[in-house]
Amino acid sequence: MSAPENPRWLNEIGDELRREVPVRAAWRSQLLDDIARLPVPTAEDEIDDGDRDSPRRSASRRIVLTPFTSLAAAVVFCALGASAMYVALASRAPSGRDTIASRSRTDPSSTASWSATAQELVRFQLSAPNASHVALVGSFNEWNPVATPLTRDPATGTWVVSLRLPPGRHVYAFVVDGDVTADPAAPRAADNDFGSANSVVLVSGRTS
Amino acid sequence: MNVFGSAPKKALLMVALAAVTARAQEIDRTLPPQLSATTRAALERLIDSARVAGLPIDPLYSKVREGVFRSADEPRVIAAVQRLSHDLGDARLSLGDSASAEEITAGANALRAGIRQADLVRLRETPGRKAGRPLTVALVVLADLATRGVPPAMAAASVNELVARNVSDGSLLSFRQNVERDLVGGRSPASSLDARTKSMIDDAERRRP
Repeated sequence: MSAPENPRWLNEIGDELRREVPVRAAWRSQLLDDIARLPVPTAEDEIDDGDRDSPRRSASRRIVLTPFTSLAAAVVFCALGASAMYVALASRAPSGRDTIASRSRTDPSSTASWSATAQELVRFQLSAPNASHVALVGSFNEWNPVATPLTRDPATGTWVVSLRLPPGRHVYAFVVDGDVTADPAAPRAADNDFGSANSVVLVSGRTS
Repeated sequence: MNVFGSAPKKALLMVALAAVTARAQEIDRTLPPQLSATTRAALERLIDSARVAGLPIDPLYSKVREGVFRSADEPRVIAAVQRLSHDLGDARLSLGDSASAEEITAGANALRAGIRQADLVRLRETPGRKAGRPLTVALVVLADLATRGVPPAMAAASVNELVARNVSDGSLLSFRQNVERDLVGGRSPASSLDARTKSMIDDAERRRP
């Protein structure tokens, strides 16, 4: 399985952070003067990193304390945090760009099941061996049919996705090749306002 | 004086936007832009009224999104939200002010399935029920049974009996699954409910210390 490609916005952040920052000539000149005024480091000040001949080594260590570089470091940490958050979210709810091409009905019956653990990791599965695309829609993904595609297990023909959901009552349905269908193995919601029934999953750390 | 230059500023903005986007994936309390201004205004009024009444509003936003996803026409979306808002109000009235958002939402769904308000009141006041035990699962099971064709009064009586015996939420869900299996197999709702309720109660009695 190959690693997922970074989204465009993440690459743009990386590009921005790598780009040389334009600074005012006066500020640069002041900085260089400050560096020139610094004492030449002794051998003890140097780190054994193969750069012992460079007197700028110690100076460059001091300039990281300027307000600009401190703030730049904060931005980098924020970017890293956002990347980590994105990776975590992407692993929970893989987003897909597939479109629902076919409208042929596939029988999604038999072994679909649901389960929720105390960790709120909910596994949705649907047996639809002849389907070409299955997605999950519900109150947790704004009923967005491209947000949560299921992955097909070629051996069993079962479509699966696991999501971390906040505690509460969530209403959902599967979209099987363009047709909306309730989960045959889950409790059914009664408010069938728009044509077909939905299912209900309860997520709660509380047990009785 | 621009100390940062433009590039770090952009990066900071993008990081902030990424954080906002990630947060928005949890709860989106906005109305879809596909809806007309008139419909959006009508929905905003309905949702504001629900908010002022202290009702859970996330199910209302979800209902709107569901309607848009299912390409329902706008008057139908408004009617669905109106009805849900009304059911939420009735459920809160029946389940009491201390009921959680999940209980109220599940209660509204049970009412929609045909369960009477009096049955919800009875469920809330079930003698022997553990204090503070949430009724969400019981209400979901109740709505499911009624949706599958079990007469609402019969479903309410069975679930009430199980809640009175403090049957666990997991057992309530198994009960639902067993009844569903019976119904699919052609058993009558009355016969299935009777047998499954008795079996569950016997089981609970055996486990009692």
